[in-house]
Amino acid sequence: MLYPDTVEAEVLVHKPWFVATMFGVVLLVFMAFNLSGTGFAELMRPVIGEPSTSGLYGRFAIGFAIAVIFTLNVVLIGFAPLKLQIGIVWLELLLLFIAFFETFHLSLPFIREKLPFLISQGVVTTLYVSAISIVIASVIAVAGAVAKLSSNGFAYAIASFYTSFFRGLPLLMQVYLIYLGLPQLGFVINAVPAGILALSLCYGAYMTEIFRSGIQSIDRGQWEASRSMGFGFALTMRRIILPQALPVIIPPTGNQFISMLKDSSLVSVIGVWELMFLARTLGQKTFQHMEMLISAAMIYWVLSICLELIQSRIERHYARSKVR
Amino acid sequence: MTFWNRRQLTMAAMALALGAYPAHAGAVLDRVTSAGTLKVATDANWAPQSFMNANNELDGFDVDVAKEIGKHLGVKVEFVTPGWDIITAGNWAGRWDMHVGSMTPTKKRAEIFNFPAVYYYTPAAVAVHKDSKAKTLADLDGKVVGATSTSTFEAYAKKELTLDAAGAPPFEYKLNPKEVHSYENSTTAFDDLRLGDGVRLDAVVSSLPSILDAVKAGYPIKQVGEPVFYEPLAIAIEHGDPELSAKIADAVKAMKADGTLSKLSEKWYGQDYSKTN
Repeated sequence: MLYPDTVEAEVLVHKPWFVATMFGVVLLVFMAFNLSGTGFAELMRPVIGEPSTSGLYGRFAIGFAIAVIFTLNVVLIGFAPLKLQIGIVWLELLLLFIAFFETFHLSLPFIREKLPFLISQGVVTTLYVSAISIVIASVIAVAGAVAKLSSNGFAYAIASFYTSFFRGLPLLMQVYLIYLGLPQLGFVINAVPAGILALSLCYGAYMTEIFRSGIQSIDRGQWEASRSMGFGFALTMRRIILPQALPVIIPPTGNQFISMLKDSSLVSVIGVWELMFLARTLGQKTFQHMEMLISAAMIYWVLSICLELIQSRIERHYARSKVR
Repeated sequence: MTFWNRRQLTMAAMALALGAYPAHAGAVLDRVTSAGTLKVATDANWAPQSFMNANNELDGFDVDVAKEIGKHLGVKVEFVTPGWDIITAGNWAGRWDMHVGSMTPTKKRAEIFNFPAVYYYTPAAVAVHKDSKAKTLADLDGKVVGATSTSTFEAYAKKELTLDAAGAPPFEYKLNPKEVHSYENSTTAFDDLRLGDGVRLDAVVSSLPSILDAVKAGYPIKQVGEPVFYEPLAIAIEHGDPELSAKIADAVKAMKADGTLSKLSEKWYGQDYSKTN
């Protein structure tokens, strides 16, 4: 249900047909894989004997055990209150991920040794490149959206050309074009400003469209009513249109911020020592790059989670009018 | 009207001048000596030539050579690490002054760069998975081969290699692959090779030192056949500064004469690659 429902209904995961289907599907899936060489099969040794020779019976027994655990887990979680459910599912998925990474046999001392540099050099660079780009992109987006909605031919033409061009080119190509192309015109810019420029221009184009659609989603009558009350353009925008448009604009803008954070890794091709560059470089000599890649992945994830939390806070702020 | 026209003309002329002549005679050397630092471009992902060491600093054979050249010029050395394709694109525009990154001097590259000195030679070899049945290079006919994109190894696999630098030993094509896969660097190619014989790749063409390094790090790969060619590797600068070129050539000649290059090669490769065998 999209909203908390007033109609009482039985929990889906407690309906017998659902539980039975789930059990069957899990049983079949795990029977399809041969798990006799895994640690789980070792645990089942008292029941199935030597795992490698247990054959179809072994497969069935392993699949059955997993299906029981899985179904029991889901049914039990169904009894918990909503917040606890979310927490438990998150925790379980996280444990699965950790178990997955565990199979890579990563060298933890190496990660611990490199982590300070990864953060002090990599994360700091990634963060300031993204943060500056986000600010510039937002400014471009507001200007672009207003231009795209205006009846001025020049403004519309420039803004639509800009969004079309910068949305139509791969960001990596824009990074190259700006870094290698501008010196041809006599403007030699360094790697970091070139990267910031490329990121700002590219994301400015996407966000122009987001802002424009947000503004356009507000009923035309709001504009007309405001104008008929004698409000000017700026006042109408500031007090009437934007406050209503922001709740529409914020979720996709948050998306853009998160993807900008990760796309900032593209500036590593022009030699900026940001997180992705170091992740590819630090473990190279000793062939421990999986360690660095996974550490960097985790760092990117944590940073994204921070942005997600900020976004949900802002969304809650603007959803006040919908609270009952 | 006339005013604007003239101004536009001047601006166009300025842009042209700046674009067409990035380095006036001696300009780079003047900049280096007056700043007291030599900006050197190199790769940060190309062990043991250049890589990040345990102290998170650039280290390796190329890095040491660059530092030695700096010592001969009497300036400090500063490293920048743009991508290989950014370096080979030319038009450095003063972002860095010299490239010490094991670049092979080819005729095509000589149109963009000036190669003051060849400072060592690397044997290039072919690596296969250790389960591979290939005994000779002829066994790899019609197989899938990987190499770093835009490298001489890729050119060799595609039979487009021209080694026309002075002192480059002759070679012949002994590899007839069905397909050549390009990689960001040799490690990503080795990573695909380690998945198993023929899973994604049957063989990788790379430098012998990096193959041996990968073997030492536990990669399940081995060298097959003799080295396929000896690659001369040179220092690169942009055209238009003969003074800098001469200074670098002198520095390398001195390093060869007093044995510094041999010593550095022994230190990083365990062999003297500063001469052809």
